Amino acid sequence: MALFLQALITGLLMGGVYASYSSGFSLIFGVMNIVNIFHGELIMVGAFTTYWLFSLYNVDPFLTLPASIVSAGLLGYLVQRALINRVVEAPPMISYLCTFGVHLILANLALLLWSADFRTVTTSYSGAGFAVGPLTIPIARLVTFVIALATTFGLYLFLEKARYGKAIRAASQDKEIARLLGIDIKKVYALTFALGAAITGLAGGLLSTYYVIYPQMGLPYTIIAFCVVVLGGMGYIPGALIGGLLLGVIQSLTATYLNSGLSVAITFILLFIFLVLNPQGIVGKGIVE
Amino acid sequence: MKWKVLIWLAVSLGLVLFPLAGAEGYYYRILSMIYLWVGLASAWNLTSGFTGYIDFGAVGYFGIGNYATALLMTRAAVPFMPSMAIGGVLCGLIALLIGRYTMKLRGAYFGIATLAFAEAAKQIVLEFDRTFRVRLFEGSHGITLPIAQDEVFFYYVFLTVSGGIVLGVFLINRNKFGYALKAIKEAEDSAELAGINTRRYKVSAYALTAALIGVLGGINAYWLTYISPLDVFSVMHTINMIIMALFGGMGTVFGPVVGAFVLSMANEVIGSKLLYTYLMMLGMILLVVVIFLPRGMIGLISRKRIRR
Repeated sequence: MALFLQALITGLLMGGVYASYSSGFSLIFGVMNIVNIFHGELIMVGAFTTYWLFSLYNVDPFLTLPASIVSAGLLGYLVQRALINRVVEAPPMISYLCTFGVHLILANLALLLWSADFRTVTTSYSGAGFAVGPLTIPIARLVTFVIALATTFGLYLFLEKARYGKAIRAASQDKEIARLLGIDIKKVYALTFALGAAITGLAGGLLSTYYVIYPQMGLPYTIIAFCVVVLGGMGYIPGALIGGLLLGVIQSLTATYLNSGLSVAITFILLFIFLVLNPQGIVGKGIVE
Repeated sequence: MKWKVLIWLAVSLGLVLFPLAGAEGYYYRILSMIYLWVGLASAWNLTSGFTGYIDFGAVGYFGIGNYATALLMTRAAVPFMPSMAIGGVLCGLIALLIGRYTMKLRGAYFGIATLAFAEAAKQIVLEFDRTFRVRLFEGSHGITLPIAQDEVFFYYVFLTVSGGIVLGVFLINRNKFGYALKAIKEAEDSAELAGINTRRYKVSAYALTAALIGVLGGINAYWLTYISPLDVFSVMHTINMIIMALFGGMGTVFGPVVGAFVLSMANEVIGSKLLYTYLMMLGMILLVVVIFLPRGMIGLISRKRIRR
């Protein structure tokens, strides 16, 4: 029973990490219909910002988070402004290929600059956890879990209530009408991308304190973000949380009772079945083309 | 046009007679590699370039073809040619099954589903033995095949198969099947209303593409004599097929041929020494082509204009 509960808690916390870096992906897809293939590179940039500030200037990882937010957000803004905004009128496939090109450039530029070494951000509290009966709860992941909840909730509120959030929703519902109403679509798109990228950078900064980071880490994260968002419903913000937790628990249980390599296979089989049977996601609120 | 036919005949004859020139082994390897990529990019283009359904998991069939041939040859002692053919048929059948479901999805959903299929196939081959405690795929150790024939043999096998694929795409481009596929790309719903059974055409094209990629995979296994899941299921193969087709011109007959030729040469010259620079360059090419030349290199030289 303790084994099962520990697997469940590990899975939920892992799900929190998944959710933290997937909601930005969902936002960008929901508003602009872009599958952002360089999503993982935004995580990488956030993580490396934290790493460099920590290893060069000894800044505590939790204090570097604003820098991670700004660096990833700025990168997202620039890419949308300079490249993707040029192809907003083209078929969606063109924009995926664009983000794919950016993925190749960023991942390999990072490799040239920083080499393929594995790096870690090891602080005094890395690996620290507290015990509840027979179970251990790692603190850094618990913090990520809480922040994932907070960003999902904050993003949801922002889109529902804030004036700018309403402009974003209007642009995602009907581009032409929004334009007629005087909304500057390209500006809204660039800011949406920046917002999605910023929360992704935040997640990258957080996970650098307990995962190994390296320039080519991006693509596997992008693929997991796909899975999470499809499970929860593409473009439906709370879906990233639901999908993340679900995936985390499933993976943790298969890794505990079968083997960890198989849990990756199961992830993809699940993703495939889900896409085919139920592309709207588990609560049926995702966007389907 | 007569002179066009003559040029093609001369080029084909030159390629067929090339081994008579008595060149070093290195040249056979380079040309065989180029033919492999011409075949892969053309086969990928048949589904994705013609119908606009961008397949992000084409490497799945490449890997399955590699493993089918390797397993048949090493475990069942089947000769190379039948193994390769069986591998192709197997891929075609798997694609018929997978395509029935994935081809219902559109745009991003199709891309993600195909990617998931290829990654799942890779993980299954990687973990099958360990999970079920058998010795079949050999996991990450990979499989070593019997020592291959000489280079000239592979030169001709690749030339025949890839040449056949290009010729096939050329013929499809001009017949009813090709028109149906292009109609799906332009306006799928209207094509459906016009009485085209779009699903049947899409799934047939997808299965044909898969079978051809599977055959090329089989040749690849015997050519390299050693395969492992991380190599033959590498997502880089799909990326190369996409970029080659896109660079040359998606949905055209000779675009992928041009793209495969130029980019595999570039890979040989730059990629073998400066891999990261080469990959960055690929990314930049992709951006430039997508933003400025959506019809690829073929679009630059072709005098035909698209009427809007």
